[in-house]
Amino acid sequence: MMKHSVIITPEHVLVDGNPLEHNESGSTMLTDLYRKYIGDYPKFFKMDTLSKLGFIASELLLNIEGNRDFEPREDRAVILFNRNASLQADTHYQSTIQNPDNFFPSPAAFVYTLPNIVTGEIAIRNKYFGETSFIVIENYDEKIIEKNLRLAFQDPITTSIIGGWVDCEDEEHFEAKIFLMEK
Amino acid sequence: MDELIYTLKQQIIEALNLEDMKPEDIDENASLFGEGLGLDSIDALELIVMMEKNYGIKLKDPTQGKEIFKSVAVMADFIAKNRTK
Amino acid sequence: MIVCVAHNIISPLGSTTAENYAAVKSGKSALRKYNGLWSLPEPFVASLLDRNAFTDDRYTIDEQIVITSISKALENTDIDVKSSKVLFIISTTKGNVFLLDKRENGFPQERVRLGMMAREVTKHFGNPNEPIVVSNACISGVCAQIEAMRYLENGEYDYVVVCGVDVQSAFIVSGFQSFKALSPEECKPFDANRCGLNLGDAAATIIYTKKDEVSENEWVACRGSIRNDANHISGPSRVGEGSFRALRVALGDLKPEKLALINAHGTATLYNDEMESIAIERAGLAGVPVNSLKGYYGHTMGAAGVLETIISMQAVDDHNILGTRGFDTLGVTHPLDISNQNRATEKRAFIKLLSGFGGCNAALLMEKGGLK
Repeated sequence: MMKHSVIITPEHVLVDGNPLEHNESGSTMLTDLYRKYIGDYPKFFKMDTLSKLGFIASELLLNIEGNRDFEPREDRAVILFNRNASLQADTHYQSTIQNPDNFFPSPAAFVYTLPNIVTGEIAIRNKYFGETSFIVIENYDEKIIEKNLRLAFQDPITTSIIGGWVDCEDEEHFEAKIFLMEK
Repeated sequence: MDELIYTLKQQIIEALNLEDMKPEDIDENASLFGEGLGLDSIDALELIVMMEKNYGIKLKDPTQGKEIFKSVAVMADFIAKNRTK
Repeated sequence: MIVCVAHNIISPLGSTTAENYAAVKSGKSALRKYNGLWSLPEPFVASLLDRNAFTDDRYTIDEQIVITSISKALENTDIDVKSSKVLFIISTTKGNVFLLDKRENGFPQERVRLGMMAREVTKHFGNPNEPIVVSNACISGVCAQIEAMRYLENGEYDYVVVCGVDVQSAFIVSGFQSFKALSPEECKPFDANRCGLNLGDAAATIIYTKKDEVSENEWVACRGSIRNDANHISGPSRVGEGSFRALRVALGDLKPEKLALINAHGTATLYNDEMESIAIERAGLAGVPVNSLKGYYGHTMGAAGVLETIISMQAVDDHNILGTRGFDTLGVTHPLDISNQNRATEKRAFIKLLSGFGGCNAALLMEKGGLK
């Protein structure tokens, strides 16, 4: 069963279908949303755009669910999908090694060159010991995503999933469509 | 030395994306890790890169960082003595 | 039950499973020191394929070894991969990331997307389904097998082809160097003097199907589990939280004495091996023999979970617990049963254990003949 949804594009934010007020658009929008609706998690500023996007979307989603006690739990999974994997972070890291005369590989950039880091960021924030997974498909496909998430309930402990699409091509082009799914 | 400390604070803020902080917010004698600025292991590695990039200092052994990154003041002192650029 | 019907490994140690197992059994390793390769300023030790051996300019090296590995796995089967009843799942962390280096050329930029790389593979085989790519850092290879088990359990596919792959590049090596995670010499898993990991190239394929009855000699993927440390994106949990929880679910009600071994991640970084020893101890499995294959292959990233599952199946078939190459003196807090020598076993089950960036951990229980 699907409960609640959050959609974020560079222009719009929809929470359960209702537009959410925000001032900026594009890359500054995520910071604006952070300051307006979250604001107590400075690690946010260290994240790559994909993690920022997934983090904000999950925060807005969990705020609707309410009851945020941050108690450790193992029964909630975080399983996300996208098209571009960690492309924005990959491109950023590549820029730190592209020039042999200015070759300073950045560990803080490298760690985000894995798309599943965003699932880890959400698990860390909320103390979720459950399954975290990241799957890449070439095109957004609701059927593939929903089927895959339903199958994840074969895990003997998982009872709910933060799931959906979190994609980021670069700092100005991104899209999140995530939801809560219950067994 | 005061100038180096101020520049270093700016560079730390930039390298570690400490978005909401200004150089004035950092106490140069406070611990960078744990209680003080609350930096983590990735930050420590990033500071190693920052020192190499801006001051030409190459740390061969990352555990050396533990001593050097005690505080901004200790770091500035180390940089002043070892910088090659 | 989910049964393994075919497999293959392409690595610097061979291009069939049999060649690979024979090499590992005799203690061979492809780890070599590279100095100045890919213009990297620091030398590194890795297990690399000969880049000159890949001449098909239609496909990148990643794509070529995936296609070769899957083709070889299919050789002695009658599976019709053109059927919509066959699903392809690719496991990779970085795929064709080398294409981001503008000095490399000859391939369209879109092939850097993992989904496009996977489509090249399904297109080659004429498979009509959208391929799924699991990209879950270093645990991808076990996650991909768990995905396969779930799809088959659900019954809509007859076969799932799982292929794990990663090919090393300046991108990956420099990143691990910036993390100070690479060992300047051949890695020493679980050893007191371990000082980091080595990286490796490989592709490995497992094909699974669902059967109601299995024979004594068939390998069954029994239970898999993925759990997060909820602690840090790059440092493993100091209490092995996610790994312990993954182990607990994968083990289920199986008695630990049924296990021939735990094939650990054993990357030979200070923190990973220590964390695994804690997790194994917490799961009540400290008495089970543990080994790591990183001293033979290095860390093959997206391929590791598949490759190491296959080698462990071969070893148990051969009544053998493979020695941990590079290990000498135990250097983790909890006493684990590790040896650098091959040892005999009559047991028929093992657990494949992995951990990765993002705080993720995975465990997979494999048993020959299925759970009785």
